[in-house]
Amino acid sequence: MILNKIKIEGLKKEDPGIIPAMERRAFLKMGLLITGVFAGGSVLSATSIVEKAFASSGEFAEKYPYKPHYSMVIHQDRCIDCELCMTACVKTNNVPTYGYRTRVFERDDQKATERKREFIPVLCNQCNNPPCVLGCPTKATYKNPTNGIVMMESKKCIGCKTCMAACPYNARYFNEETSAVDKCDFCFNSRLSKGEKLTACAEACPAKCRVFGDLSDSGSEVYQAVHNLEKTVWVLRPDAGAKPNVFYMKG
Amino acid sequence: MAEDVTKTADVAVMPGGWAGVRGGVLQALQGSKGYYAALIISGLLLLAAVAAGLHAKYIGTMYAYGASREVPWGILISTYVFFVVTSTGLCLVSAIGHVFGVKDFMPIAKRAIFLSIMTIMAGFFVIAFEIENPFRMAIYNVISPNLTSNIWWMGTLYGAYMFFMAIEFTFLVLNKPKIATIIGFMGVVAGVAAHSNLGAVFGMLHGREFWYGPYMPIYFIASAMMSGAATIIFFTWLAYKANGQKMDAAMKRALEVTTKVGILLISVILFFTAWKFITGFVGGEAKTAALDMLLTGSYAFNFWVLEVAVGMVIPLALFILSKGQNLKLIVTASALMIFGIFFMRYDLVIVGQLVPVYYELGVNEYTQMLSYTPSAHEILIVMGGIGFVGLTFLLGEKIFNGHKSEIH
Amino acid sequence: MRTKKLSVLILILAVMAMITVYEGLVVAEDDIVGGGEIIYTKPLKSVLFSHKSHAAMGLDCNACHDKIFQMAALSAQDKADFNMKGLYDKKYCGSCHAKDGMAFASDTQCARCHIGTKGFNSAPKEAKK
Repeated sequence: MILNKIKIEGLKKEDPGIIPAMERRAFLKMGLLITGVFAGGSVLSATSIVEKAFASSGEFAEKYPYKPHYSMVIHQDRCIDCELCMTACVKTNNVPTYGYRTRVFERDDQKATERKREFIPVLCNQCNNPPCVLGCPTKATYKNPTNGIVMMESKKCIGCKTCMAACPYNARYFNEETSAVDKCDFCFNSRLSKGEKLTACAEACPAKCRVFGDLSDSGSEVYQAVHNLEKTVWVLRPDAGAKPNVFYMKG
Repeated sequence: MAEDVTKTADVAVMPGGWAGVRGGVLQALQGSKGYYAALIISGLLLLAAVAAGLHAKYIGTMYAYGASREVPWGILISTYVFFVVTSTGLCLVSAIGHVFGVKDFMPIAKRAIFLSIMTIMAGFFVIAFEIENPFRMAIYNVISPNLTSNIWWMGTLYGAYMFFMAIEFTFLVLNKPKIATIIGFMGVVAGVAAHSNLGAVFGMLHGREFWYGPYMPIYFIASAMMSGAATIIFFTWLAYKANGQKMDAAMKRALEVTTKVGILLISVILFFTAWKFITGFVGGEAKTAALDMLLTGSYAFNFWVLEVAVGMVIPLALFILSKGQNLKLIVTASALMIFGIFFMRYDLVIVGQLVPVYYELGVNEYTQMLSYTPSAHEILIVMGGIGFVGLTFLLGEKIFNGHKSEIH
Repeated sequence: MRTKKLSVLILILAVMAMITVYEGLVVAEDDIVGGGEIIYTKPLKSVLFSHKSHAAMGLDCNACHDKIFQMAALSAQDKADFNMKGLYDKKYCGSCHAKDGMAFASDTQCARCHIGTKGFNSAPKEAKK
């Protein structure tokens, strides 16, 4: 596909790594299909997430293009809608009252046994194939070449709102004060660039629902979670083809 | 230059070139009462729009416009689409005659080119109030271009297109048709490229089920020609009314063949639309939700009455009945089409956003479709765009002496 | 003889009426059942405790009052150990909601009790004491 050859600023193509046994993968994929589909996203095995999530399609990537490759794993079953994450985000990043960078949704299922409600935190997925970066006319939004965070350069934003229309996750809003579109940057400007290790929301969560870390570090919690074949891990809206970097799981 | 020799009755024969323009300006100062009334109304609409736009910037567009986080593109975007689609269509219809040499289409060509410039300027006028930072755009579109961005390509190519059309028109006024043809061809290329990129702005958003796919760029080009045909028929008739003149046989023939183009293209668009819906129903929930809104939901009136009936089916019937001869039927059809097509653009832009992106997630916050209502500010700016076209059209008729061509 | 029979009949009817009224009062009280719905907002917004659903399982007032919870509503949330750790130590709700306890463990089915900020916002006024 021609599009694979188009250079998106900051997006590097990684080397195909060692591929595990095709048979094992196929078997696991089949097993997960049988186990069922969870509402809100397709079931993806750990191996197929990595395949689908990163730029080189069809190959299992041992190497990731970014170092650190920031990512977040959300334990959806632990969220209790205390919204301390939202409060921390607003305070840390000066988010105006009319906008939000992260949010918690509520979903009821009366047919469910036992527990009938769950809460789903959402934020910018810092996609690996971001439609916002593709569509911005002035490169006001771009992928940070070092860590993969989708950043905003506010001075270049013309306010055409294409990125807002393009985002499959409603992660962006227009900030009247800076006269530019704003969105979650994994607290890069407010915390990570100043030596902090966690985003404000990950730190504030009392239930350890948001796990933030470096996906290129095989010892990190996010790496362990995403690559655990015993667990079901999914992403929101895989149909949009944006290859998100925020993963969801239960347990 | 050579004197303009036409068989049109009741018109003072004007020389071509700059002398003609000077004469035309003088003529503009001798209009009828109706002419001046229309001129003043157009001017007032334009002024009201500028006032509304500046006020909106002052109080904050978040408060002045009906657009929101979830529905960022409102009537200003759909009106921009309406104007630039019309402009591209006018360029294409004029190109049949002027660039590709089909003689029957020649008489409408010059007016079509003029209007294509005016409608694209109207489009830019409307969108200038929508873009939050137009001055940043002037700078960073140039020094920080994103070549993967459909918006960038559309903006740049439409700029080039407007430039080419203006040059082409100038050469036509200066009576240099050969150079005008070459520039006209470049204008067509730029226009088609720009216009399909505009379609791709919507079509390449994978996250928006209603828009995603190869259909948008293709549909936009076909739809443009349909708009162009309707617009040039209507404005040609209006021009002859405004100037108090009678059409000659060549012009009547031009309208007849344009009607045929209109019939063809309405049929094409009806076919496209039908298949878009049919194939859409095997799409995901988000896609079917949008289609349901148009077929049976809150936009059903817009779709069935305004888009389909007023915009396409009734004009098609009138065009066919007219046999290309009955001016009353042709002009009525064209007027209905222009009105209906405005809503085609509106529905396209708005409905594509009313399905929440998290609709399929099934959360309590997004069980219903979103809603959008244009605000007073936005409507005034839209009226201003229409006023701009009216104003420039009326002045252009006088200044350029009814866009009569010296060479046929 | 007739008068005596009549008096006995009236007496029986009166007693029946009194019992009915007494039962009626008790039954009406059962609908409210103790403190009704309680919504805790500390340390987090917010956790729902429903007296009705617990009573419906056959628990009477003594099951919790006063050893595990005081009678006064929301008095628990002012205590420093009224948190998940306290529950895992089998305090408060953890007396029953524990692994191998009477009810589901408190580290499972979080949103069944944690109705969150949204639950708090949409709760009826009476519950938000």
